[in-house]
Amino acid sequence: MRKEKVKLTGAEIVVEELKNEGVEVAFGIPGGVLLDLYNVLYGDDTILHILMRHEQCAAHAADGYARVSGNPGVCIATSGPGATNLVTGLANANMDSAPVVALTGQVLTAAIGTNAFQEASTFTITMPVTKHNFMVKRTEDLPKVIHNAFYIANTGRKGVVLVDLPKDVLATRVEVDLHQRETFAGYKPRTKPNKAQIKKAAEALANAERPVILAGGGVISTDAAEELRHLAEFLGAPVVTTLIGKGAIPEDHPFSLGMAGMHGRIYANRVIYECDALLALGTRFSDRLTGWQLDQFAPDAKLIHVDIDAAEINKNIQVDIPIVGDAKLTIADIIKSLEKKKRADMNAGKGKNLSVWVQRIKEMHSACDECIKDVGRTGSSISDRFIKEISAILDDNAIVTTEVGQCQMFAAHYYITKKPRTFISSGGLGTMGFGFPAAIGAKVAAPDRKVLDIAGDGSFLMTCQDLATCVENDIPVVVCIFNNCYLGMVRQWQELFFDKKYSHTCLGRTTDFVKLVEAFGGYGERVEKPEELKDALHNAFASGKPAVIDMIVGWDDKILPMIPPGGGLTGMIGTERCKNI
Amino acid sequence: MQKHIISLLVEDHPGVLTRMSGMFTMRGINITSLTVSPCEQDGLSRMTVVIDGPDSVLEKVRKQISNLIEVVRVIDLAENRAIIRDLCLIKVHVRDAEDRSTVMQLSETWGAKIVDATLDAVIIELTDEPRRIDRFVDLIKQFGVKQLFRTGVTAIGI
Ligand SMILES: Cc1ncc(C[n+]2csc(CCOP(=O)(O)OP(=O)(O)O)c2C)c(N)n1
Ligand SMILES: [Mg+2]
Repeated sequence: MRKEKVKLTGAEIVVEELKNEGVEVAFGIPGGVLLDLYNVLYGDDTILHILMRHEQCAAHAADGYARVSGNPGVCIATSGPGATNLVTGLANANMDSAPVVALTGQVLTAAIGTNAFQEASTFTITMPVTKHNFMVKRTEDLPKVIHNAFYIANTGRKGVVLVDLPKDVLATRVEVDLHQRETFAGYKPRTKPNKAQIKKAAEALANAERPVILAGGGVISTDAAEELRHLAEFLGAPVVTTLIGKGAIPEDHPFSLGMAGMHGRIYANRVIYECDALLALGTRFSDRLTGWQLDQFAPDAKLIHVDIDAAEINKNIQVDIPIVGDAKLTIADIIKSLEKKKRADMNAGKGKNLSVWVQRIKEMHSACDECIKDVGRTGSSISDRFIKEISAILDDNAIVTTEVGQCQMFAAHYYITKKPRTFISSGGLGTMGFGFPAAIGAKVAAPDRKVLDIAGDGSFLMTCQDLATCVENDIPVVVCIFNNCYLGMVRQWQELFFDKKYSHTCLGRTTDFVKLVEAFGGYGERVEKPEELKDALHNAFASGKPAVIDMIVGWDDKILPMIPPGGGLTGMIGTERCKNI
Repeated sequence: MQKHIISLLVEDHPGVLTRMSGMFTMRGINITSLTVSPCEQDGLSRMTVVIDGPDSVLEKVRKQISNLIEVVRVIDLAENRAIIRDLCLIKVHVRDAEDRSTVMQLSETWGAKIVDATLDAVIIELTDEPRRIDRFVDLIKQFGVKQLFRTGVTAIGI
């Protein structure tokens, strides 16, 4: 342990410790109680501070940055309204287990609890939406707290840690040891899976005739895509994903069947229903995945659940073989165990033939593929054709973020993700307005890659003011707006389940998104036909500016098939155009 | 519905109680008794929480509480594997000498102490298992209980 006693202000300690944690970027907005901190950031060239236009965007940008880079994202907000503005972004990141560290200013320690100017109880407000939070009362505690904030955010099940920093704690100068490493006795994230459980899992998988792998966000956050692919090929098992798991396997791989769940692909849901062994990796079985008829969720399967968070085991779904551990380490161990078993079986002249199952998977995969390639098919809507165009134009390294609504689900269905950390979407919280600021964070994390937000006209207006941030800081992200002049997803539900009473979902067509982006100093273009998108996207990327492409789509396009509310995996509606395999 | 006694070893930090109780609040579970006090280790405290709820839900909450960073250990104490105590202070109305002597006799039989007495009332202290305290309180009620205080359950595994 490095020990150095130095005399520093709280603000200097914070910045020192951020650098020590390897922080290169922070997204924030200053305020009265943060003047000391920002004074230290002035002219600092190790940490790039990006001045946002709304704290919610600072949190989403940190979230997007974290999901793309794999390193914790940092956001900063002042006391009171700054901190309350952060809350949505923090809840969003925490729900999707993205590592984010938030620093908030707070009023003087002596004034806390007095309703002082710009005081909000950030500590209590953010408790339920963070993995952990700290209220620092003594400057001497800062080295330990900042270290723990990063350690907790970025280990075990990743999540959000907030540090509340009263003005006087930042201003006071004290003599401290920097880089203290003391942690919490009760915090011991378990990553190594139990050997006996691995053996049971390998046996169940080896004995299965219809094995299926369900990959969640844990596969992506532990960078286990390589291992996953190897396992799938070894087993002859199709891979279906959750929304957050999208990208865990290249979606053009013959064993990939796409996203499962309420708005998932029909075959993805079908194989979960049909399988006799389900290996669920790093997923929490949210209701958007399982549907509501749990007897239709893998009814005949031995259920193996791998999760780093022991509290997720048997929380939403009762499982047969629980394994608490990191997805990457667990998959590697399962593969080892399977290989050993296979050698033994081969020596004994045993062996299993999965050719029927594999054939069926390949048929399902090509049925999806056909549907994705065929733009002229009856029932194709202009919305899915736009996504197909985007998918064809972008390279494998490009990063797609999404807003929330039909636009998001069209993207989840039709955008073919080839690599992990290239599809970034708000899963757990379903936050409209997430995609654009997340794209800002993504672009800052990967400046050399194309970053595109698949947006809805409703969602984009929730956070579009940060176009100013993009223009000022030269962050050229491209936003493709599905302009259906509706809160489309809600409208779809009204059409299907509420007698077409379109109560308060029509947004109208009066907003001129091209002029909007031009007013900010960016590039804008409107397209009415999917064929025109290629040129428009080319122009947008070539402009080198932040850009908005206003894509006019059908107001009544629907994203189908879907599981109706209350339904289960086998009860999808709108399946008429799906091949029955 | 089943009664559960959960014993927690936690960091002695502000906010720990809120985090812990927030987990129950989130699932709409009522805490029926709660004690917090220092313990044998510096910097840690012990909480004893009594709750009513279905086993399956409580198991889920227990795991979520174990996840809290400042929680060092969580133990679900089975009633038959623990020494369980509650302390109660009761101010009982005594109208006359006869009442007074009956109350005093009953207290003695139950192992309770008279800790204060005035002309028309006595204060009784009883430390015992919560169930026995319930029975004692029922008994003493007929004299007219002016005030009743219970500390809530504390329990130690055997
Ligand atoms: C912040 C927020 N408010 C409300 C909702 C509820 N909601 C879910 S989808 C949706 C419509 C989104 O509209 P738009 O962005 O235009 O996307 P579309 O569905 O039309 O593609 C709404 C209002 C939400 N998810 N998030
Ligand atoms: Mg819309």
